Amino acid sequence: MTLETWSQLWGKLPVLLQGLLVNLELLAGLLSLGIVVGVVVALVEVYAPRPLRAVALAYEWFFRGVPELVLLFLFYFGPSQFGAEISAFFAAVLALGFRSSAYQSQIFRGAIQAISPGQSLAARSLGMSRLAVIRHVILPQALRLSLAGWSNEFSSVLKDTTLAYGIGVVEVMRQARYLTARNFPLALPAFLTVALMFLVLTYAGNWGIGLLERRLRVPGLEARS
Amino acid sequence: MKVVGVAFLMAVLLAGCLAMGQPRYIVLSDITWAPFEWVSEKGAYLGFDLDVMRAIALLEGFEIEIRDTPFDSIIPAVIANKGDVGASGFTINDERAQVISFSEPYWTSDQAVVVRTGSGLDMDKALAKGRKAGAQRGTTGAGWVEENLPDVVLVLYETYPEAVLDLLAGRLDAVVQDVDPSKQAVGQYPGRLEIAGIIETGEQFGFLVAKGDPKEILPKISSGIAKLQASGAWDHLIAAYFGPSLDAIEAAWEASIDILLVEKDVVKFAQTLAALATK
Repeated sequence: MTLETWSQLWGKLPVLLQGLLVNLELLAGLLSLGIVVGVVVALVEVYAPRPLRAVALAYEWFFRGVPELVLLFLFYFGPSQFGAEISAFFAAVLALGFRSSAYQSQIFRGAIQAISPGQSLAARSLGMSRLAVIRHVILPQALRLSLAGWSNEFSSVLKDTTLAYGIGVVEVMRQARYLTARNFPLALPAFLTVALMFLVLTYAGNWGIGLLERRLRVPGLEARS
Repeated sequence: MKVVGVAFLMAVLLAGCLAMGQPRYIVLSDITWAPFEWVSEKGAYLGFDLDVMRAIALLEGFEIEIRDTPFDSIIPAVIANKGDVGASGFTINDERAQVISFSEPYWTSDQAVVVRTGSGLDMDKALAKGRKAGAQRGTTGAGWVEENLPDVVLVLYETYPEAVLDLLAGRLDAVVQDVDPSKQAVGQYPGRLEIAGIIETGEQFGFLVAKGDPKEILPKISSGIAKLQASGAWDHLIAAYFGPSLDAIEAAWEASIDILLVEKDVVKFAQTLAALATK
C-alpha cells in the first residue's frame, strides 16, 4: 500500500462511486418494498384471523430462515424455469426486499403491540371502524416507535446490497474487483475505500433517521401496555 | 445528389433489416481474468475470449451482448437460459460436459507455479511436503494440487488476486494458476514475484452453450474459429493478447476496436491490434 497505489486509486474513485450508486438504487428499491410488505405482514400477524395469520407467519419464517445468497439465486434463476425473464437487478431488489420485509414486519409488529389496547377500545367506542383505528390511531404511533429498530435494519440491508454482485449486478464490490483484477496492488486500497464509503453511508443514514425521529416525536407520548 | 441520397438511405435500411434479422446471443464472462477477459482502465470489456467472440459474431452473422457474471454463476446461468454462451476460459472436463455442451478446444493451457523472488524455491522445493500453496477455488490448478500433491497444504481463494496478495504477504510459499494470468501477475510485481516452473497439465479451453446446443450456436463458433485461423487473424490476436503489458494492449485496443465494430474488418482489426500492442 504505497502512496502510488493510493494515487492510482484516487483516479478510479468515479468508477467506485458509479458502482455505489447502483447499491443506493438497490437500497431504495428494497427498502420501499420492505416497508410496504413489512407493514402489511405485521398488521396481518396482529389483527387478521388465524388462517391468514398462519400465512404471514410462514412468509416471515421463510424469508428470515433462508440465507440471502440463496434467496438471490432463487429469484434470479428461478423465474426462468417458468419462462419468465428477470434482470439481475430486479431479482436482487425482490430477493433482498422480501427478506427485509420479513425482518421489518417484526419491528412493526413489536411497535404495534406496544400501543396500549385501551386506545383501540377508546377509538372503537367513539364509533371508528377497525381500519380507521389502525390508520389514524395505531399506525401513526407505531411507525414512530419503529424508527429506532428500523435504523438497525437500514444499516444491515445497506451492506447486504453488496451481495448482489453474486448474480452479476455490477455494483461497488464488483467494480472494486475489476480494479483489482486489472491491477493487483490496488486490492487493499480499493476495499478500504469501499469500507469507508459504507461507513459514511451508515453514519449519514442513521443520522437522517435520528433526525426524523426527533422531528416526528410527539411530546408527552408514551408507550405503555 | 438525390439519387445518391436515396441509394444511401436504401443501403442503410437494408443493413438495418439484415441486422434485425440476426440472432442475438448473450455471452457470459467473468471479466476479472486478464488477458482472457478484463475491464480496461477506461471501463471497456476486452480480452482474448471477448474479441474472439466479437469476431466470430461478425463472421457468422449474429449479434452478441457481453454480460459480466461471476465465474461460479456462468454455468448455472446458461442452464437456466439466462445466457447463451459462456466465454470465460473454461477448461473442458467431463464434470462440466455433463450439464452443458462445449465447443471444440480453442486454447491449451498449463499451470504455472509462482513464488516470491529471492525465496530460493524451485518448483520441487516450492511444492514439497508441508509447503503452503494457494489457488483459486474451482480451478484446475486447485484440483491438480489436491490430486497430485496430497502432502502440500492447499489454501483456496475466491479470486486469483487474493492468492497472490497472500503470497506477497508471506503466508504462502507458492500459487498455482494458469500460465497466462500468472505471467500477468508476475508482470505487475516486477522483482517481487517469479515463475518457478510450469506444470504441464495440457488442459483445453472451450466456449460453452446449453446442453445439446438447442440454439445451434456451436457450429457457428467452430466455423468462426476456423475462419479466424485460416485468415491469420487468430495468430494476430494471440500475439496481441499474450505477451504485451496490459497497458500496451489497452492502448492498442482502443485505437483499433472501431475497425472491428464499425468497419467490420476482422483481419485488419487483428493485424492492427497486434502491431500496436507489440510495437
